[in-house]
Amino acid sequence: MWNDILSFLQNTGFALIANDWRVVVMLLISFFLLYLAIAKKYEPLLLLPIAFGMLLTNLPGAGLFHSELWTAFLDENSPMFHNYGAIMREGGLLDILYIGVKAGIYPCLIFIGVGAMTDFGPLIANPKSLLLGAAAQLGIFITFLTANALGFSEAEAGSIGIIGGADGPTSIFLTSKLAPNLLGPVAIAAYSYMALVPVIQPPIMRALTTKKERAIRMKQLRSVSKTEKIIFPVMVATIVALILPDAAPLIGCLMLGNLMRECGVVERLSKTVQNELMNIVVIFLGLTVGATATAESFLQLKTLMILGMGIIAFGLGSAGGVLLAKFMNLFSKEKINPLIGSAGVSAVPMAARVSQQVGQESDPGNFLLMHAMGPNVAGVIGSAVAAGILLTMLG
Amino acid sequence: MILLTETANWSHIWMVTLIGFALVVCLLLILVLVLKLFGFIMKPRVRVPKVVHTEEKSEIKHDETVLVNLPANTTAAIAMALHLYYADIHDNEAHVMTIKKVERRYSPWNSKIYGINNLVK
Repeated sequence: MWNDILSFLQNTGFALIANDWRVVVMLLISFFLLYLAIAKKYEPLLLLPIAFGMLLTNLPGAGLFHSELWTAFLDENSPMFHNYGAIMREGGLLDILYIGVKAGIYPCLIFIGVGAMTDFGPLIANPKSLLLGAAAQLGIFITFLTANALGFSEAEAGSIGIIGGADGPTSIFLTSKLAPNLLGPVAIAAYSYMALVPVIQPPIMRALTTKKERAIRMKQLRSVSKTEKIIFPVMVATIVALILPDAAPLIGCLMLGNLMRECGVVERLSKTVQNELMNIVVIFLGLTVGATATAESFLQLKTLMILGMGIIAFGLGSAGGVLLAKFMNLFSKEKINPLIGSAGVSAVPMAARVSQQVGQESDPGNFLLMHAMGPNVAGVIGSAVAAGILLTMLG
Repeated sequence: MILLTETANWSHIWMVTLIGFALVVCLLLILVLVLKLFGFIMKPRVRVPKVVHTEEKSEIKHDETVLVNLPANTTAAIAMALHLYYADIHDNEAHVMTIKKVERRYSPWNSKIYGINNLVK
Protein backbone atom coordinates (compact mmCIF):
# COMPACT_ATOMS: atom_id res chain seq x y z
CA MET A 1 0.00 0.00 0.00
CA TRP A 2 2.84 2.42 0.85
CA ASN A 3 4.31 1.72 -2.57
CA ASP A 4 1.02 2.69 -4.20
CA ILE A 5 0.84 5.91 -2.22
CA LEU A 6 4.48 6.67 -3.01
CA SER A 7 3.90 5.97 -6.69
CA PHE A 8 0.83 8.24 -6.67
CA LEU A 9 2.78 11.04 -4.99
CA GLN A 10 5.64 10.67 -7.46
CA ASN A 11 3.21 11.03 -10.36
CA THR A 12 1.56 14.22 -9.11
CA GLY A 13 2.40 17.49 -10.77
CA PHE A 14 4.01 18.77 -7.56
CA ALA A 15 6.65 16.03 -7.63
CA LEU A 16 7.30 16.67 -11.32
CA ILE A 17 7.61 20.41 -10.75
CA ALA A 18 10.34 19.75 -8.21
CA ASN A 19 12.40 18.09 -10.98
CA ASP A 20 12.42 21.18 -13.20
CA TRP A 21 12.55 24.74 -11.81
CA ARG A 22 11.86 26.21 -15.25
CA VAL A 23 8.28 24.97 -15.04
CA VAL A 24 7.70 27.18 -12.00
CA VAL A 25 9.06 30.18 -13.91
CA MET A 26 6.73 29.44 -16.85
CA LEU A 27 3.75 29.12 -14.53
CA LEU A 28 4.63 32.48 -12.95
CA ILE A 29 4.91 34.07 -16.41
CA SER A 30 1.51 32.67 -17.35
CA PHE A 31 0.03 34.09 -14.11
CA PHE A 32 1.57 37.47 -14.92
CA LEU A 33 0.09 37.43 -18.43
CA LEU A 34 -3.30 36.48 -16.98
CA TYR A 35 -2.96 39.45 -14.63
CA LEU A 36 -2.16 41.76 -17.56
CA ALA A 37 -5.14 40.44 -19.51
CA ILE A 38 -7.67 40.60 -16.66
CA ALA A 39 -6.54 43.49 -14.46
CA LYS A 40 -4.85 45.72 -17.03
CA LYS A 41 -7.06 44.68 -19.97
CA TYR A 42 -4.08 44.32 -22.36
CA GLU A 43 -5.66 42.71 -25.46
CA PRO A 44 -7.63 40.40 -23.12
CA LEU A 45 -9.45 38.59 -25.93
CA LEU A 46 -6.20 37.02 -27.06
CA LEU A 47 -3.84 37.41 -24.15
CA LEU A 48 -6.15 35.53 -21.81
CA PRO A 49 -6.36 32.33 -23.90
CA ILE A 50 -2.63 32.61 -24.73
CA ALA A 51 -1.74 32.87 -21.04
CA PHE A 52 -4.06 29.99 -20.15
CA GLY A 53 -2.63 27.87 -22.96
CA MET A 54 0.81 28.60 -21.54
CA LEU A 55 -0.42 27.54 -18.11
CA LEU A 56 -1.92 24.27 -19.39
CA THR A 57 1.09 23.28 -21.47
CA ASN A 58 3.46 23.80 -18.57
CA LEU A 59 1.49 21.77 -16.06
CA PRO A 60 3.72 18.72 -15.66
CA GLY A 61 2.12 15.39 -16.43
CA ALA A 62 -1.04 16.83 -17.96
CA GLY A 63 0.12 15.89 -21.46
CA LEU A 64 -2.10 18.38 -23.27
CA PHE A 65 0.62 19.48 -25.66
CA HIS A 66 3.69 17.59 -26.87
CA SER A 67 6.34 19.82 -28.40
CA GLU A 68 8.45 16.73 -29.20
CA LEU A 69 5.71 15.46 -31.52
CA TRP A 70 5.85 18.70 -33.48
CA THR A 71 9.66 18.58 -33.61
CA ALA A 72 9.35 15.10 -35.15
CA PHE A 73 6.62 16.45 -37.46
CA LEU A 74 9.15 18.89 -38.93
CA ASP A 75 12.06 16.43 -39.03
CA GLU A 76 12.50 15.03 -42.55
CA ASN A 77 14.25 11.92 -41.18
CA SER A 78 11.48 11.10 -38.75
CA PRO A 79 8.68 8.65 -39.62
CA MET A 80 6.30 11.33 -38.32
CA PHE A 81 7.43 13.92 -40.89
CA HIS A 82 4.31 15.86 -41.96
CA ASN A 83 2.15 13.07 -40.57
CA TYR A 84 -1.06 14.60 -39.21
CA GLY A 85 -2.42 11.08 -38.54
CA ALA A 86 0.32 10.46 -35.99
CA ILE A 87 -0.51 13.78 -34.30
CA MET A 88 -4.19 12.81 -34.08
CA ARG A 89 -3.26 9.39 -32.71
CA GLU A 90 -0.65 10.34 -30.16
CA GLY A 91 -1.33 14.01 -29.43
CA GLY A 92 -3.25 15.65 -26.63
CA LEU A 93 -6.15 18.08 -26.93
CA LEU A 94 -3.96 21.09 -27.64
CA ASP A 95 -1.88 19.14 -30.19
CA ILE A 96 -5.03 18.45 -32.16
CA LEU A 97 -6.19 22.06 -31.98
CA TYR A 98 -2.68 23.19 -32.96
CA ILE A 99 -3.13 21.56 -36.38
CA GLY A 100 -5.22 24.62 -37.27
CA VAL A 101 -2.23 26.89 -36.59
CA LYS A 102 0.22 24.60 -38.34
CA ALA A 103 -1.92 24.41 -41.45
CA GLY A 104 -2.42 28.19 -41.40
CA ILE A 105 -6.18 27.88 -40.98
CA TYR A 106 -6.88 29.99 -37.87
CA PRO A 107 -5.14 33.21 -38.97
CA CYS A 108 -7.03 33.10 -42.27
CA LEU A 109 -10.38 32.52 -40.53
CA ILE A 110 -9.62 35.44 -38.22
CA PHE A 111 -8.87 37.56 -41.26
CA ILE A 112 -12.35 36.81 -42.63
CA GLY A 113 -13.75 38.23 -39.39
CA VAL A 114 -11.37 41.21 -39.47
CA GLY A 115 -12.44 41.93 -43.04
CA ALA A 116 -16.10 41.78 -42.05
CA MET A 117 -15.46 44.28 -39.24
CA THR A 118 -13.39 46.71 -41.31
CA ASP A 119 -14.69 49.70 -43.20
CA PHE A 120 -12.33 50.40 -46.09
CA GLY A 121 -14.26 53.60 -46.93
CA PRO A 122 -11.58 56.02 -45.62
CA LEU A 123 -8.95 54.16 -47.64
CA ILE A 124 -11.03 54.24 -50.84
CA ALA A 125 -11.70 57.95 -50.30
CA ASN A 126 -8.00 58.70 -49.81
CA PRO A 127 -5.89 56.09 -51.68
CA LYS A 128 -2.65 57.86 -50.69
CA SER A 129 -3.17 56.28 -47.26
CA LEU A 130 -1.86 53.07 -48.78
CA LEU A 131 1.58 54.66 -49.09
CA LEU A 132 1.60 55.43 -45.37
CA GLY A 133 0.63 51.80 -44.77
CA ALA A 134 3.61 50.75 -46.93
CA ALA A 135 6.06 53.05 -45.12
CA ALA A 136 5.00 51.62 -41.79
CA GLN A 137 6.29 48.22 -42.95
CA LEU A 138 9.82 49.67 -42.86
CA GLY A 139 10.22 48.33 -39.32
CA ILE A 140 9.68 44.77 -40.55
CA PHE A 141 12.60 44.88 -42.94
CA ILE A 142 15.04 46.79 -40.71
CA THR A 143 14.33 44.33 -37.91
CA PHE A 144 14.87 41.48 -40.37
CA LEU A 145 18.36 42.87 -40.98
CA THR A 146 19.01 43.36 -37.26
CA ALA A 147 17.87 39.85 -36.36
CA ASN A 148 20.19 38.41 -38.99
CA ALA A 149 23.03 40.45 -37.54
CA LEU A 150 22.26 39.03 -34.11
CA GLY A 151 22.66 35.49 -35.39
CA PHE A 152 19.12 34.36 -36.10
CA SER A 153 18.53 32.36 -39.26
CA GLU A 154 16.90 34.20 -42.17
CA ALA A 155 13.59 32.41 -41.62
CA GLU A 156 13.65 33.26 -37.91
CA ALA A 157 14.60 36.86 -38.70
CA GLY A 158 11.62 37.16 -41.04
CA SER A 159 9.31 35.92 -38.30
CA ILE A 160 10.75 38.40 -35.81
CA GLY A 161 10.56 41.26 -38.28
CA ILE A 162 6.87 40.71 -38.96
CA ILE A 163 6.13 41.75 -35.36
CA GLY A 164 6.69 45.29 -36.70
CA GLY A 165 3.55 44.88 -38.78
CA ALA A 166 1.61 44.88 -35.48
CA ASP A 167 -0.78 42.32 -36.84
CA GLY A 168 -1.26 39.24 -34.67
CA PRO A 169 -2.81 36.81 -37.20
CA THR A 170 -0.22 37.76 -39.85
CA SER A 171 2.64 37.26 -37.38
CA ILE A 172 1.27 33.85 -36.40
CA PHE A 173 0.64 32.85 -40.02
CA LEU A 174 4.18 33.71 -41.13
CA THR A 175 5.92 32.33 -38.04
CA SER A 176 4.05 29.02 -38.22
CA LYS A 177 5.39 28.66 -41.77
CA LEU A 178 8.93 30.02 -41.36
CA ALA A 179 10.00 29.40 -37.76
CA PRO A 180 7.44 27.40 -35.75
CA ASN A 181 9.92 27.11 -32.87
CA LEU A 182 9.51 30.86 -32.27
CA LEU A 183 5.71 30.92 -32.42
CA GLY A 184 5.16 31.47 -28.67
CA PRO A 185 7.57 34.39 -28.19
CA VAL A 186 6.60 36.05 -31.49
CA ALA A 187 2.85 35.85 -30.77
CA ILE A 188 3.27 37.13 -27.24
CA ALA A 189 5.50 39.99 -28.42
CA ALA A 190 3.08 40.91 -31.23
CA TYR A 191 -0.01 40.98 -29.02
CA SER A 192 1.75 42.67 -26.09
CA TYR A 193 3.03 45.50 -28.27
CA MET A 194 -0.34 45.89 -29.95
CA ALA A 195 -1.81 46.38 -26.49
CA LEU A 196 0.93 48.87 -25.69
CA VAL A 197 0.30 51.05 -28.76
CA PRO A 198 -0.93 53.99 -26.60
CA VAL A 199 2.31 53.80 -24.62
CA ILE A 200 4.84 53.15 -27.39
CA GLN A 201 3.63 55.39 -30.20
CA PRO A 202 2.93 58.87 -28.68
CA PRO A 203 6.57 59.65 -27.68
CA ILE A 204 7.76 58.67 -31.19
CA MET A 205 5.02 60.76 -32.82
CA ARG A 206 5.80 63.81 -30.66
CA ALA A 207 9.55 63.48 -31.21
CA LEU A 208 9.23 63.44 -35.00
CA THR A 209 6.70 66.25 -35.44
CA THR A 210 6.40 69.93 -34.56
CA LYS A 211 3.34 71.32 -32.79
CA LYS A 212 2.37 73.11 -36.01
CA GLU A 213 2.46 69.85 -37.97
CA ARG A 214 0.40 68.09 -35.34
CA ALA A 215 -2.26 70.78 -35.62
CA ILE A 216 -2.73 70.40 -39.40
CA ARG A 217 -6.39 70.03 -40.24
CA MET A 218 -7.15 67.74 -43.14
CA LYS A 219 -9.80 68.15 -45.80
CA GLN A 220 -12.95 66.15 -45.19
CA LEU A 221 -12.99 62.80 -46.97
CA ARG A 222 -15.31 62.37 -49.93
CA SER A 223 -18.26 60.06 -49.61
CA VAL A 224 -17.80 56.54 -50.94
CA SER A 225 -20.62 54.80 -52.76
CA LYS A 226 -21.81 51.29 -51.98
CA THR A 227 -20.76 50.11 -55.44
CA GLU A 228 -17.18 51.25 -54.77
CA LYS A 229 -17.16 49.42 -51.45
CA ILE A 230 -18.38 46.23 -53.14
CA ILE A 231 -15.92 46.35 -56.03
CA PHE A 232 -12.95 47.24 -53.79
CA PRO A 233 -12.46 43.83 -52.06
CA VAL A 234 -12.86 41.91 -55.33
CA MET A 235 -10.38 44.19 -57.05
CA VAL A 236 -7.74 44.14 -54.29
CA ALA A 237 -7.95 40.36 -53.83
CA THR A 238 -7.52 39.82 -57.57
CA ILE A 239 -4.63 42.25 -58.04
CA VAL A 240 -2.68 41.17 -54.94
CA ALA A 241 -3.19 37.44 -55.51
CA LEU A 242 -2.11 37.74 -59.13
CA ILE A 243 1.04 39.70 -58.28
CA LEU A 244 1.89 37.89 -55.06
CA PRO A 245 0.25 34.43 -54.78
CA ASP A 246 1.76 33.76 -51.34
CA ALA A 247 -0.25 36.66 -49.89
CA ALA A 248 -3.47 35.24 -51.33
CA PRO A 249 -4.62 33.28 -48.24
CA LEU A 250 -4.50 36.33 -45.95
CA ILE A 251 -5.61 39.01 -48.41
CA GLY A 252 -8.20 36.68 -49.95
CA CYS A 253 -9.79 35.95 -46.59
CA LEU A 254 -9.64 39.61 -45.51
CA MET A 255 -11.39 40.69 -48.68
CA LEU A 256 -13.93 37.85 -48.54
CA GLY A 257 -15.00 39.03 -45.09
CA ASN A 258 -15.19 42.62 -46.31
CA LEU A 259 -17.27 41.65 -49.33
CA MET A 260 -19.70 39.83 -47.01
CA ARG A 261 -20.05 43.04 -45.02
CA GLU A 262 -20.45 45.42 -47.93
CA CYS A 263 -22.60 43.47 -50.36
CA GLY A 264 -25.53 43.45 -47.91
CA VAL A 265 -27.05 40.20 -49.16
CA VAL A 266 -25.38 37.82 -46.70
CA GLU A 267 -26.10 39.61 -43.45
CA ARG A 268 -26.23 36.34 -41.51
CA LEU A 269 -22.83 35.20 -42.77
CA SER A 270 -21.34 38.60 -42.06
CA LYS A 271 -22.62 38.53 -38.47
CA THR A 272 -21.40 34.97 -38.01
CA VAL A 273 -17.84 35.65 -39.14
CA GLN A 274 -17.70 38.84 -37.05
CA ASN A 275 -18.92 37.14 -33.89
CA GLU A 276 -19.31 33.38 -33.51
CA LEU A 277 -16.62 32.21 -35.95
CA MET A 278 -14.17 34.88 -34.86
CA ASN A 279 -14.66 34.13 -31.17
CA ILE A 280 -14.32 30.36 -31.59
CA VAL A 281 -11.16 30.70 -33.66
CA VAL A 282 -9.68 33.23 -31.24
CA ILE A 283 -10.10 30.70 -28.42
CA PHE A 284 -8.41 27.92 -30.41
CA LEU A 285 -5.67 30.18 -31.71
CA GLY A 286 -4.89 31.76 -28.36
CA LEU A 287 -4.85 28.48 -26.47
CA THR A 288 -2.63 26.67 -28.95
CA VAL A 289 -0.21 29.54 -29.50
CA GLY A 290 0.15 29.82 -25.74
CA ALA A 291 0.68 26.07 -25.59
CA THR A 292 3.78 26.34 -27.78
CA ALA A 293 5.46 28.42 -25.06
CA THR A 294 6.99 25.50 -23.23
CA ALA A 295 9.84 25.98 -20.76
CA GLU A 296 12.41 24.55 -23.21
CA SER A 297 11.42 26.84 -26.06
CA PHE A 298 10.53 29.98 -24.09
CA LEU A 299 13.16 30.31 -21.39
CA GLN A 300 16.00 31.22 -23.67
CA LEU A 301 18.05 34.31 -24.39
CA LYS A 302 16.40 34.26 -27.82
CA THR A 303 13.02 35.10 -26.28
CA LEU A 304 14.36 38.24 -24.61
CA MET A 305 16.03 39.24 -27.87
CA ILE A 306 12.77 38.69 -29.77
CA LEU A 307 10.87 40.85 -27.27
CA GLY A 308 13.54 43.55 -27.60
CA MET A 309 13.62 43.46 -31.40
CA GLY A 310 9.82 43.37 -31.54
CA ILE A 311 9.57 46.73 -29.82
CA ILE A 312 12.24 48.16 -32.15
CA ALA A 313 10.32 46.85 -35.19
CA PHE A 314 7.14 48.40 -33.88
CA GLY A 315 8.77 51.75 -33.14
CA LEU A 316 10.47 51.89 -36.54
CA GLY A 317 7.20 51.07 -38.29
CA SER A 318 5.45 53.93 -36.49
CA ALA A 319 8.33 56.29 -37.29
CA GLY A 320 8.35 55.21 -40.95
CA GLY A 321 4.71 56.21 -41.40
CA VAL A 322 5.16 59.61 -39.71
CA LEU A 323 8.29 60.41 -41.72
CA LEU A 324 6.68 59.49 -45.05
CA ALA A 325 3.69 61.72 -44.24
CA LYS A 326 6.12 64.60 -43.60
CA PHE A 327 7.92 63.81 -46.85
CA MET A 328 4.64 63.76 -48.78
CA ASN A 329 3.82 67.20 -47.37
CA LEU A 330 6.85 68.61 -49.20
CA PHE A 331 5.17 67.92 -52.53
CA SER A 332 1.48 67.82 -51.93
CA LYS A 333 -0.89 70.78 -52.05
CA GLU A 334 -3.27 69.31 -49.51
CA LYS A 335 -1.28 68.85 -46.33
CA ILE A 336 -1.39 65.58 -44.42
CA ASN A 337 -1.21 65.58 -40.66
CA PRO A 338 1.92 63.41 -40.06
CA LEU A 339 0.29 61.88 -36.98
CA ILE A 340 -1.90 59.69 -39.18
CA GLY A 341 1.26 58.06 -40.56
CA SER A 342 1.87 56.15 -37.35
CA ALA A 343 -1.50 54.44 -37.79
CA GLY A 344 0.06 52.67 -40.78
CA VAL A 345 1.12 49.87 -38.46
CA SER A 346 -2.02 47.72 -38.33
CA ALA A 347 -3.29 47.49 -34.71
CA VAL A 348 -6.80 48.45 -35.84
CA PRO A 349 -8.32 50.67 -34.49
CA MET A 350 -6.04 51.40 -31.54
CA ALA A 351 -3.33 53.08 -33.66
CA ALA A 352 -5.91 55.37 -35.31
CA ARG A 353 -7.29 56.32 -31.89
CA VAL A 354 -3.77 57.23 -30.74
CA SER A 355 -3.37 59.53 -33.78
CA GLN A 356 -6.66 61.19 -32.84
CA GLN A 357 -5.64 61.63 -29.18
CA VAL A 358 -2.18 63.03 -29.91
CA GLY A 359 -3.67 65.33 -32.57
CA GLN A 360 -6.20 66.73 -30.11
CA GLU A 361 -3.44 67.58 -27.65
CA SER A 362 -2.32 70.26 -30.14
CA ASP A 363 -5.74 71.23 -31.45
CA PRO A 364 -8.77 69.97 -29.51
CA GLY A 365 -11.04 70.74 -32.46
CA ASN A 366 -9.07 68.56 -34.88
CA PHE A 367 -10.67 65.21 -35.68
CA LEU A 368 -8.14 62.89 -37.23
CA LEU A 369 -9.80 59.56 -36.50
CA MET A 370 -11.39 58.96 -39.91
CA HIS A 371 -8.25 60.19 -41.70
CA ALA A 372 -6.13 57.83 -39.59
CA MET A 373 -8.40 54.88 -40.33
CA GLY A 374 -7.18 54.99 -43.96
CA PRO A 375 -3.51 54.24 -43.17
CA ASN A 376 -4.66 51.95 -40.38
CA VAL A 377 -6.55 49.56 -42.66
CA ALA A 378 -3.86 50.05 -45.32
CA GLY A 379 -1.44 48.72 -42.69
CA VAL A 380 -3.43 45.47 -42.51
CA ILE A 381 -3.07 45.06 -46.29
CA GLY A 382 0.58 46.17 -46.14
CA SER A 383 1.59 43.72 -43.42
CA ALA A 384 -0.19 40.85 -45.20
CA VAL A 385 1.66 41.77 -48.41
CA ALA A 386 4.98 41.96 -46.50
CA ALA A 387 4.26 38.52 -45.00
CA GLY A 388 3.58 37.14 -48.48
CA ILE A 389 6.85 38.59 -49.77
CA LEU A 390 8.86 37.16 -46.86
CA LEU A 391 7.17 33.79 -47.36
CA THR A 392 8.02 33.82 -51.05
CA MET A 393 11.64 34.79 -50.47
CA LEU A 394 12.41 32.78 -47.34
CA GLY A 395 9.90 29.95 -47.32
CA MET B 1 25.42 33.34 -32.04
CA ILE B 2 25.61 37.02 -31.22
CA LEU B 3 26.60 39.87 -33.52
CA LEU B 4 27.27 39.78 -37.23
CA THR B 5 27.76 36.11 -37.84
CA GLU B 6 30.10 35.40 -40.70
CA THR B 7 28.15 32.34 -41.82
CA ALA B 8 25.12 34.45 -42.80
CA ASN B 9 24.58 35.01 -46.50
CA TRP B 10 24.60 38.79 -46.39
CA SER B 11 24.10 39.34 -50.08
CA HIS B 12 20.85 37.38 -49.88
CA ILE B 13 19.81 39.13 -46.67
CA TRP B 14 20.32 42.57 -48.23
CA MET B 15 18.48 41.45 -51.34
CA VAL B 16 15.49 40.26 -49.28
CA THR B 17 15.48 43.51 -47.31
CA LEU B 18 15.74 45.91 -50.23
CA ILE B 19 13.69 44.00 -52.80
CA GLY B 20 11.14 42.98 -50.16
CA PHE B 21 10.49 46.53 -49.02
CA ALA B 22 10.53 47.83 -52.60
CA LEU B 23 7.96 45.18 -53.55
CA VAL B 24 5.65 46.19 -50.68
CA VAL B 25 5.86 49.83 -51.77
CA CYS B 26 5.42 48.99 -55.48
CA LEU B 27 2.44 46.73 -54.90
CA LEU B 28 0.71 49.29 -52.72
CA LEU B 29 1.62 52.01 -55.23
CA ILE B 30 -0.12 49.98 -57.93
CA LEU B 31 -3.16 49.76 -55.65
CA VAL B 32 -3.01 53.55 -55.11
CA LEU B 33 -3.05 54.17 -58.86
CA VAL B 34 -5.84 51.67 -59.44
CA LEU B 35 -7.87 53.18 -56.60
CA LYS B 36 -7.33 56.71 -57.93
CA LEU B 37 -8.59 55.63 -61.33
CA PHE B 38 -11.39 53.70 -59.69
CA GLY B 39 -12.35 56.74 -57.60
CA PHE B 40 -12.33 58.97 -60.66
CA ILE B 41 -14.69 56.63 -62.51
CA MET B 42 -16.96 55.95 -59.55
CA LYS B 43 -17.05 59.48 -58.09
CA PRO B 44 -20.61 60.10 -56.91
CA ARG B 45 -22.25 62.84 -58.95
CA VAL B 46 -25.46 64.69 -58.24
CA ARG B 47 -27.60 65.97 -61.09
CA VAL B 48 -28.67 69.56 -60.43
CA PRO B 49 -30.94 71.46 -62.87
CA LYS B 50 -29.04 74.14 -64.72
CA VAL B 51 -30.54 77.63 -64.55
CA VAL B 52 -30.18 79.44 -67.86
CA HIS B 53 -30.87 83.18 -68.10
CA THR B 54 -31.32 84.44 -71.63
CA GLU B 55 -31.49 88.08 -72.59
CA GLU B 56 -34.73 87.79 -74.56
CA LYS B 57 -36.77 85.98 -71.98
CA SER B 58 -35.59 85.13 -68.51
CA GLU B 59 -37.29 81.81 -68.23
CA ILE B 60 -35.81 78.82 -66.46
CA LYS B 61 -35.13 75.74 -68.55
CA HIS B 62 -35.44 72.56 -66.53
CA ASP B 63 -34.60 70.12 -69.23
CA GLU B 64 -30.81 70.79 -69.23
CA THR B 65 -28.74 69.25 -66.45
CA VAL B 66 -25.07 69.43 -65.45
CA LEU B 67 -23.02 67.16 -63.25
CA VAL B 68 -22.11 68.96 -60.02
CA ASN B 69 -20.29 67.66 -56.97
CA LEU B 70 -21.85 68.99 -53.82
CA PRO B 71 -19.14 69.72 -51.26
CA ALA B 72 -19.56 68.02 -47.91
CA ASN B 73 -20.11 71.29 -45.99
CA THR B 74 -22.98 72.23 -48.35
CA THR B 75 -24.55 68.83 -47.86
CA ALA B 76 -24.16 69.20 -44.09
CA ALA B 77 -25.77 72.68 -44.19
CA ILE B 78 -28.74 71.38 -46.21
CA ALA B 79 -29.12 68.43 -43.84
CA MET B 80 -29.02 70.74 -40.82
CA ALA B 81 -31.61 73.09 -42.35
CA LEU B 82 -33.92 70.17 -43.09
CA HIS B 83 -33.41 68.83 -39.58
CA LEU B 84 -34.28 72.19 -38.00
CA TYR B 85 -37.30 72.56 -40.24
CA TYR B 86 -38.69 69.14 -39.41
CA ALA B 87 -37.80 69.49 -35.72
CA ASP B 88 -39.89 72.66 -35.61
CA ILE B 89 -43.01 70.90 -36.87
CA HIS B 90 -43.38 68.78 -33.78
CA ASP B 91 -44.20 69.92 -30.27
CA ASN B 92 -41.52 69.80 -27.65
CA GLU B 93 -42.02 66.90 -25.30
CA ALA B 94 -41.55 67.17 -21.55
CA HIS B 95 -38.68 64.64 -21.69
CA VAL B 96 -39.87 63.19 -18.40
CA MET B 97 -40.41 59.50 -18.21
CA THR B 98 -43.18 58.27 -16.00
CA ILE B 99 -43.55 54.66 -15.17
CA LYS B 100 -46.98 53.79 -14.02
CA LYS B 101 -47.20 50.69 -11.94
CA VAL B 102 -49.78 48.34 -13.35
CA GLU B 103 -51.17 46.13 -10.68
CA ARG B 104 -53.08 43.10 -11.74
CA ARG B 105 -55.24 41.73 -9.02
CA TYR B 106 -55.75 38.06 -8.83
CA SER B 107 -58.81 36.72 -10.50
CA PRO B 108 -59.66 33.18 -11.50
CA TRP B 109 -60.17 34.58 -15.03
CA ASN B 110 -56.52 35.51 -15.41
CA SER B 111 -55.14 32.75 -13.24
CA LYS B 112 -52.33 30.69 -14.70
CA ILE B 113 -53.31 27.80 -12.52
CA TYR B 114 -56.51 27.34 -14.46
CA GLY B 115 -55.05 27.66 -17.94
CA ILE B 116 -56.30 25.63 -20.89
CA ASN B 117 -53.78 22.92 -20.18
CA ASN B 118 -54.93 22.62 -16.63
CA LEU B 119 -58.64 22.08 -16.87
CA VAL B 120 -60.74 21.83 -13.73
CA LYS B 121 -61.83 18.27 -13.20
